[in-house]
Amino acid sequence: MGHDGGDVRALNAEGDDPVAALRASINPSISFTVANGALRRLTKLRQGGAKSATRTRIAVLGGSTTTQLAKFLDLFLFAGNIDAEIYEAPYGLIRQEVLDPTSELYSFAPQFIFIASGRRDIGAPSPAASQEEVAAAIDATASEWESIWQTAYERLGCQIIQNNFEAPPWRTFGHLELNHHAAEGAFIDGVNRELRRRAPRWVSIHDLDALTAAVGRWNWGDDRFFHLAKLPCAPEHLPLYAHSVASLVVARLGRSRKCLVLDLDNTLWGGVIGDDGLAGIVIGQGDAVGEAYVAFQKYAKALAERGVILAVCSKNEDANAREVFEKHPDMVLRLPDISCFVANWEDKAANIRRIAQELNIGLDSLVFVDDNPAEREIVRRLVPEVAVPEIPLDPADYVRAVEAHRYFEPAAISAEDFQRTDMYRANAERRQIASSVTDIHEFLRSLEMRAAIGPIGDVELDRSVQLIGKSNQFNLTTRRHSAADIQRMLESKTWETRFVKLVDKFGDNGLISVLLAEERGDALFIDTWLMSCRVLKRGVEQCLLNHVAETARARGLKRVTGEYLPTAKNVLVKDHYANLGFTQTGGSDDGATTWELDVGADWRPIPHHITEETP
Amino acid sequence: MSQLLADLNDVLRDVFGDPDIALTETSTAEDVDGWDSLAHLNIIIALEGRFKVRFSTAEISMLKEEGQNIGSLVKLIASKRGDLA
Repeated sequence: MGHDGGDVRALNAEGDDPVAALRASINPSISFTVANGALRRLTKLRQGGAKSATRTRIAVLGGSTTTQLAKFLDLFLFAGNIDAEIYEAPYGLIRQEVLDPTSELYSFAPQFIFIASGRRDIGAPSPAASQEEVAAAIDATASEWESIWQTAYERLGCQIIQNNFEAPPWRTFGHLELNHHAAEGAFIDGVNRELRRRAPRWVSIHDLDALTAAVGRWNWGDDRFFHLAKLPCAPEHLPLYAHSVASLVVARLGRSRKCLVLDLDNTLWGGVIGDDGLAGIVIGQGDAVGEAYVAFQKYAKALAERGVILAVCSKNEDANAREVFEKHPDMVLRLPDISCFVANWEDKAANIRRIAQELNIGLDSLVFVDDNPAEREIVRRLVPEVAVPEIPLDPADYVRAVEAHRYFEPAAISAEDFQRTDMYRANAERRQIASSVTDIHEFLRSLEMRAAIGPIGDVELDRSVQLIGKSNQFNLTTRRHSAADIQRMLESKTWETRFVKLVDKFGDNGLISVLLAEERGDALFIDTWLMSCRVLKRGVEQCLLNHVAETARARGLKRVTGEYLPTAKNVLVKDHYANLGFTQTGGSDDGATTWELDVGADWRPIPHHITEETP
Repeated sequence: MSQLLADLNDVLRDVFGDPDIALTETSTAEDVDGWDSLAHLNIIIALEGRFKVRFSTAEISMLKEEGQNIGSLVKLIASKRGDLA
């Protein structure tokens, strides 16, 4: 009997890996009873030493009973290869746990706090309240949660997942529920909007309101269980609720999936291209099934446009498969949308390994969608790291089948990375203008730039530290200060910290520059000055220097001093201080130079085309 | 009625993950390890799913009280389903 490697692996995955089997069996649509059964299996497997790739610590603070929710959260995180140690605060003590520095929350020291609040945790204003009273109530409610986040973050430096508030299923103001300021629905809507707006980078808003709407608001709550046991929702929805929260934790831990691998025949179109030919496959308007495939392609395209990588893995002649993307008029997906295209007759497990290799991402970043249950099974067995959702028979159900798993949940922390596509597109547009405008001043004026310059606060801290850690080219000293260093500077009276955010008529460039300076004698000494190269030659340096000069003068100082420390990568800023009108005061053999600028009575700001705003 | 009792035992074995559960009409919650107030709710949910019935808030509360046994639960389900006693 011959045994090749594939057979042996298949045998192991099937027979000897109950952990992989349990992980694969956990999905967001499992019932309450099945989820409890899975929990019992998990307990047994853990007693046998089962472990996940990552560990984390989560504190669950609930306005309602969270025991079952916390257990299911653990279950779904385990499915995502994460072992969570969970501390469950006593029911109804969200505020006390956070405000009391001696509470168990602080001795537990979690990496995440999940605030499992609900509409019963906020008081709605009276239906007779005036517009001003409701606005004040919205502000007060949002401010209270905001201060809870701040307190927890200051003491723990942890990430926070905060439920927003679910609108009740009844509408006492009828169809005017959202129009009338004092309706409960309008109040909750206002609070949710404020929470979204105020949430800093380290707070993820868990959209409980959207979840209840997706389930159906009457179905979501089973008030018998709230009255009896203060359960936050009908028990049958607790697995879905836990999965939804778990997907945010997975995203924050950087374990969301990155790439959607698609089969072709009967997955992206109906029929088999090799048999039916270009005119015979089912795709496009005018045919109900063809429209269902178009809808699925549109969904995949939308994912791709926000940064999910698409790949194709199909058993076909390569030329036949590509021809559909090139020539069929009703295709939504085209070849440029596909980052890795593999069509051949080899087995799909091997091809999927090849796709991961070519894209240089882990197998655990992949989701494989194939209508053929045999192909799904072989990939599950041979490449268990890949997520392989069950695919229903009807293509009209494909979008829901993939979306339900929330494989591609983005982390709020990468919001900036996330706009990258937009930023690159906007940069291309800026370049176009630059070529049509001959005068540089006219060009810069036409950008309508506005810079917000201010001291680094909690909200700017993560991004500032990220820039300090990675900027190489426009970086005068390349000092890699940590978050704790910045924190110390913020508390010190001799240090000034500044960030710059730049907006122009094409969009928001985000936080693009950081400057750290310390008072030394009669001078303000620039310890760190760095900037993102994508805003080079826009006048940001001049604008920031003017600001720093004013800061020095406000402190009663006479000079601004700085230095250039050469590295292999920062020759770009060798003449930075000379260009800004500084005088050289020293230099050493290794190329380091020191500079000073007189900011006494004769100092005048340098002209530029940016309007400075206070953040 | 005895079929109902058998089905009920089936549900309890499922909820507690214990294949050895075999209760009679005179058994009470105390006879089952882990039948606390949370488990009680889990049982109610499982019973509702299995027998396609709905318990009222008052009934769920009442079933936990002193003096109730498996027999009272069987009777309640039977009356909800319209079984002949």
